[in-house]
Amino acid sequence: MGYNDVMYLAIFLPVTAVIYKLIPKKYRPAALTASSWLYFYLSSQELIIYLIAATVWVYGIALLIGKSQSPKVRKAWLTAGLTVLFGTLLYVKYTNFFIGTINHVMAGRESFIPLQAQKILVPLGISYYTLEAAGYLLEVYWQRVEPDRNFLRISVFLGFFPQIMEGPIARYQDTAMQFTAGTDIVPDNIVNGCFRILYGMFKKLVIADRLYLVVNEVYSHSGSYHGAVVALAGVCYTLQLYMEFSGMVDVSLGSAQIFGITLPENFRQPFFSQSASEFWRRWHISLGTWLKTYIFYPVTTSKMTMKVNRKVRKKWGKHAAKVVVSFLALTPVWLFNGLWHGPQWNYICYGIYYLVLLMLEVILEPAKNAFYKKTGWDKKSHFFQAFRVLRTWIIIFTGELFFRANSQSQAWSMFKSIFHGFSPAQLLPGNLPDFYIGSADVAAIIVGTAIVLGVDIARERGVHPIAWMRSRRQPLRWALYYGLIFSVIIFGAYGTGYMPVDMIYAQF
Amino acid sequence: MKKSEIRAKILESLMDIDDTVDYEHETALVTDRILDSFAIISLVGDLEDAFGVEITTPQMVPENFDSLDGMTAMVERLMQ
Repeated sequence: MGYNDVMYLAIFLPVTAVIYKLIPKKYRPAALTASSWLYFYLSSQELIIYLIAATVWVYGIALLIGKSQSPKVRKAWLTAGLTVLFGTLLYVKYTNFFIGTINHVMAGRESFIPLQAQKILVPLGISYYTLEAAGYLLEVYWQRVEPDRNFLRISVFLGFFPQIMEGPIARYQDTAMQFTAGTDIVPDNIVNGCFRILYGMFKKLVIADRLYLVVNEVYSHSGSYHGAVVALAGVCYTLQLYMEFSGMVDVSLGSAQIFGITLPENFRQPFFSQSASEFWRRWHISLGTWLKTYIFYPVTTSKMTMKVNRKVRKKWGKHAAKVVVSFLALTPVWLFNGLWHGPQWNYICYGIYYLVLLMLEVILEPAKNAFYKKTGWDKKSHFFQAFRVLRTWIIIFTGELFFRANSQSQAWSMFKSIFHGFSPAQLLPGNLPDFYIGSADVAAIIVGTAIVLGVDIARERGVHPIAWMRSRRQPLRWALYYGLIFSVIIFGAYGTGYMPVDMIYAQF
Repeated sequence: MKKSEIRAKILESLMDIDDTVDYEHETALVTDRILDSFAIISLVGDLEDAFGVEITTPQMVPENFDSLDGMTAMVERLMQ
């Protein structure tokens, strides 16, 4: 049951909200736990045992870490906690990847019997709740939060139903206390939450699910396309991913808002980024924050890294030290980022791609500053800002072209095929393949994207779209509500000729 | 070392990283992404060198790096 299913939107969410509203405040945390576990059960059946076991494990280990005064014992409990959490994740998600890799490496050797792939079912949201659980244990270990004695709070923190499928991956201190506050459901939150859900559904059904048809056609028959058409597929996939992922996160945040719970934002107008590093501060923010908090900073402040930092600073200066430390810290961050998305080499290459780009940013920083100083050109001028945004788009589109590929070899052959007979004329009407979508679909994609772009521009300028809309006069406000509702109902890509499209990030 | 001296040294390091920021009045350097993680790496190295302190992971929270005052308080704490 995805967040775009009628079952979720018309039955599960409203029924849960009504029950939550009707019961006394003190039972509301239990109701959130029960509804979250029920949601998990409806989607993953008996695999709920993974979530319950992880909850009990994390709850207990945090108390044990907090109870001990001995650094050694605390570290031992933390190690045990993380080993079980990540061991389980590795087992369910990566066993077959390792088996495949071993078989590939050993193939052809005498006496080697290929290992059999295992049938392992992956529990819903394990990639998401494992990171939240690990983050919580580390926070307790670093004594930045107290171990929580409220089991229901930990249960909802790890399993909250609007978050379990695609995040956002929250830090304990940012969300946990809200789950047991028993906040009442009030009209303001219902209106704001429902509007956000509708906006998310608009992005998914009107735009993303139509772009899916184009992207799926090119990637399914990649050998038949070349030049600008393949480049267009890369752009379309990036847009599809943004509309779909940010749209489903809108549904998550809107659902939580109905209960008076604020989840962290996962996107901040990523296509206004002026560099690859800025892009990752605006795209899938919660994963970036997790990686920065729990891998990047611990590596940069580790004894080994600080020792290297000091040595390199003394010998080659500050910039060299920054380059070396960045490399030491970014390598595990980007390998983890790639692998987290799934057991495929193209995800690992995707991670390495961004590692290289970010390292280049660090290495070239002095040369870049010297360039602006020498020429006297203003790096904050509109021209340079636009140039950097365009350059970042190319970086993003290329990365997503690889990310979407079914294999590494397909990614490379598609990338190379862009330069084979490239001509902008390929994109002119009449020359472009129809991709099994009609001109009305193309119009829906263009108008829909223009609306989302308009909202993103407004947000970039500090305007909050929902607050803005709610401050309009009643006729305009209701026209906007109905406009959005009917555009989803009338222009949504479902029914004859369309197929339901699963949530992309739910598979990670 | 006096608090004002600590503060002046930190300000010097910050200006070295980016001299266009008003560090005297800015109170959300990390939260508002004025300083990114790369800047924080440089700063941590500078502070460790300048004050002989060890900045460990538990100290890596926005409260300690969001303002000049926060950084000064952290260094004072670590020097004790």
